[in-house]
Amino acid sequence: MLVLIVLTALLMAPLGLFARHESRPVVGWILALIPLALFVTISALAPTVLAGGRVEQAIPWVPRMGLELRFALDGLSLLFALLVSGIGTLIVLYTAYYLAGDPGMGRFYLTLFIFMGAMLGLVLADNVLTMFMFWELTSVSSYLLVGYKHDYPSARRGAQMGLLITVGGGLALLVGLVLLGNAAGSYTISEILAAGEQIKASPLYTPAMLLIFAGCFTKSAQFPFHFWLPNAMQAPTPASAYLHSATMVKAGVYLLARLHPTLSDTPLWLYTLTIVGMTTMLIGAVTANRRDDIKGLLAYSTISKLGTMVLLAGMGGPEAPAALVATILAHALYKGALFMLAGAVDHEAGTRSLSQLGGLRRAMPWTAALAILSSLSMAGVPILFGFVAKEEQLYAAVDNGLPPGFDILVLIAVVTSAVFGVLYSWRLVSGVFFGPRGSGMKEHVHEAPAGMLLGPALLTTLSVVLPLGLLPATATLLQPAVNAISNEGAKISLYLLPSQIGLPLILSMTALLIGAVLTRFEPQIVAAPSPLPPWLNGDRIYDAAVDGVLRGATIFTRTLQNGKLRSYMTWAVLTLVVVVAPPLALFGFGGLALPTLDGVEPFEFVSALLIPIGIVATLNARSRLGGIIAASFVGLMVAFIFVIYSAPDLALTQLLVEILTTVFLVLLFAVMPASFERLSSPSERSRDGLIAVVAGMVIAGVAFAASSVTQVPNISAAFRTESQSQGFGDNVVNVILVDFRGFDTLGEIVVLFTALLGIYAMLRLRPVADPTRDDEETPLQPTLPEVAALLGNGQAGQPAPREREAPVAGKGH
Amino acid sequence: MYDSIILRTVSRLMLPILLLLSLFMLVRGHNLPGGGFIGGLVAASAFILQIIAYGPKYIREVFPISFLRLAAFGVIFAALWGLIGLATGQAYMLAFWIKEPIPGIGKLGTPVLFDIGVYLTVIGVTTQLALVLAEEPILYPIPRPPARPDAVAPEV
Repeated sequence: MLVLIVLTALLMAPLGLFARHESRPVVGWILALIPLALFVTISALAPTVLAGGRVEQAIPWVPRMGLELRFALDGLSLLFALLVSGIGTLIVLYTAYYLAGDPGMGRFYLTLFIFMGAMLGLVLADNVLTMFMFWELTSVSSYLLVGYKHDYPSARRGAQMGLLITVGGGLALLVGLVLLGNAAGSYTISEILAAGEQIKASPLYTPAMLLIFAGCFTKSAQFPFHFWLPNAMQAPTPASAYLHSATMVKAGVYLLARLHPTLSDTPLWLYTLTIVGMTTMLIGAVTANRRDDIKGLLAYSTISKLGTMVLLAGMGGPEAPAALVATILAHALYKGALFMLAGAVDHEAGTRSLSQLGGLRRAMPWTAALAILSSLSMAGVPILFGFVAKEEQLYAAVDNGLPPGFDILVLIAVVTSAVFGVLYSWRLVSGVFFGPRGSGMKEHVHEAPAGMLLGPALLTTLSVVLPLGLLPATATLLQPAVNAISNEGAKISLYLLPSQIGLPLILSMTALLIGAVLTRFEPQIVAAPSPLPPWLNGDRIYDAAVDGVLRGATIFTRTLQNGKLRSYMTWAVLTLVVVVAPPLALFGFGGLALPTLDGVEPFEFVSALLIPIGIVATLNARSRLGGIIAASFVGLMVAFIFVIYSAPDLALTQLLVEILTTVFLVLLFAVMPASFERLSSPSERSRDGLIAVVAGMVIAGVAFAASSVTQVPNISAAFRTESQSQGFGDNVVNVILVDFRGFDTLGEIVVLFTALLGIYAMLRLRPVADPTRDDEETPLQPTLPEVAALLGNGQAGQPAPREREAPVAGKGH
Repeated sequence: MYDSIILRTVSRLMLPILLLLSLFMLVRGHNLPGGGFIGGLVAASAFILQIIAYGPKYIREVFPISFLRLAAFGVIFAALWGLIGLATGQAYMLAFWIKEPIPGIGKLGTPVLFDIGVYLTVIGVTTQLALVLAEEPILYPIPRPPARPDAVAPEV
């Protein structure tokens, strides 16, 4: 059932393409049935989980690597799966109106469903490797969604930034998860959790956790990686509402919560998460007040809330798990609604800038009402669900598991972020819906279509209704999630008003009050300098890093591939020497038998000696033709030695290859000057000579070492007998080529063909500015640099082309 | 390309002989020195001889096939016969043989067919390479039409 749930969203994704031809809202209503069905199916499994059970399903995949598609549904997975499918349904509906008439709607739906499937897989996975796969799939689909408007450079940059940062963190996460799996002896999450004590005692615990933290922090936009999230706001608003507030960015928090029960109780966990979460929470809350773009404001407030969640996952204490679960739910409800409403405002008014918006409450009364209610929830004003969650946070902060001194700091930080939360909620509402009419809006602003308001209305209603009498039911629903996060029997009890007035309530009210007072000083706060030093600007560091990588790659490529054939040769041969020589020197000479001259016939000796003579002649050749002849002389002598040692197949091949190589060289050299020109300096020549000599010695050493190794029984005899009985051929070489090692041969001919394609593309498919061979109007004037560039030899600025006699082609039938 | 009456005569005579030799090399390969690779090189050298003697245009006219496609066909042809093993639920490239030898050719089996694929690939790749070079306009420019047609001896 669980596998089916994940696969449904992934496999139904192509259905989204129907919206390509019919980008009308009705398609969205039909497509919304998919996530709705998933929501209903998951809800149907909920009673089992509420009764304390667990739904599991596993499909073996690569058993030897411990990889299996293992899924499990417990309280935490249930909460996330319901959020993903439930909000997903609303988002699909919302998209139908938001992107109505957009020809890319089909593509958007396709990616959205892939993301949905990936996210469901992530939260349902019970195997860390399965989870990782879906984790990366969410990054990739997020990249496609953020880059949806790929005509805009900012959208491309935002998409690329999100991808590089989350996938970079994903790499760290993969290593961390593998280390964790090694320490636990299993990749199954439930078994890893069961082996908690063993892992904490293992030396792998610290590196594994740090790497996993890196993955979670990048994914959940924690400081100092938080800057990708505001840039990802280039995504169409449905994607922002879904991925970047309600679901994907919570994946990091999800994983931390998942590992929380048995792996959390260490200083490493406590301090890393507390400090990072607290910093993120404060930076997000402060920066949200400095943003003019309403989506940017919401993005920073999301960062702040994600920081709160990490803080709650880290700081310990009896109330923290309950507060974490309540915060996740409350945030998904109000932030999902606010993003969709921000999109509606953008859609109708044509701008997202607070300085250009204003007074929309008359034109968009429904949007205004919903946004006000959700913003009140975000600010934590009583009787809304956000208030209930904030009470839980404060309870947890008051009773946290940190050492004295530090605990007060955390409490102050939580209250401070609540104060700023009030402020940015107020900015959002007052800036968009109140005050004078905005200057940069469309002429006639209308209320958003009803379908667009349906989703936000539903979420806002939940924010309002849940605290009015449904709190005990909600607590019952959330209790399994709390159980999954904490194994110390933490209880969640949600209430609107505590039985007695305690510190949390006082702090909550104080925060509201200070926030309300601070709204009077909004202009000053907006204009206040950034809390971060200017050099700690993630955007700028990211750009510098990307630029640096590109520049480094360019320098690297220019050095290695400078267009001169001789330097390609130098690098290739040098690499061979560097790679082969050290292992040869270390391991190759044990039991090396130096060759003796016993039994070498005089004629063999002479023909072997002719080879170096040919080499010397090649090096000293003055003309190209002489060089070719001397070089092919070397090849022919090698072929002759093959003949002597009765390897006729090799000799034949060598001979033919030698002949054809000569032909190819002649084809090229025929149009070059008859004699060689000295283009390289004496020092370059001696350097190249040294490399060549060393490479030759290394290869000779490999040949000697290979022939004197005797540990492995010789395979020739087996080949010889098998050749006739199994391969039905007397020619062992050929039977090996086409039968025993036929797959190698197949690979070789593929390489051969690929090389041909490369050469063909290089010579034939290049843009030709010169007249082609069919165009004989203008005389062709090839320059020597052109020829040189073609051969990769020599450089530009050579003497002007001399008049040559063009070889006559195709004459004389 | 290289205007020599001796070369042209000899190469014209050599063409069928070399092609026959290449087929011979291919067929005998399983039992005696030879095989697809060697046979392919022999055939390619037969074509390249024509290119040298008559120029690329001639070979395009006499053999109006695309050597690039021939090479691609060779690779696919070679890879194809391995699928029989897969289709029967065994390893890819498992050899299958016809029990009775065919007169004149010898025993026939999938390795022989695979060798034919190698043969075609080698012919295609080598000949196409020579053609690409010989037809390269920068290396071998089209002879420009003479300024005064009567200044040059008319073509034979």
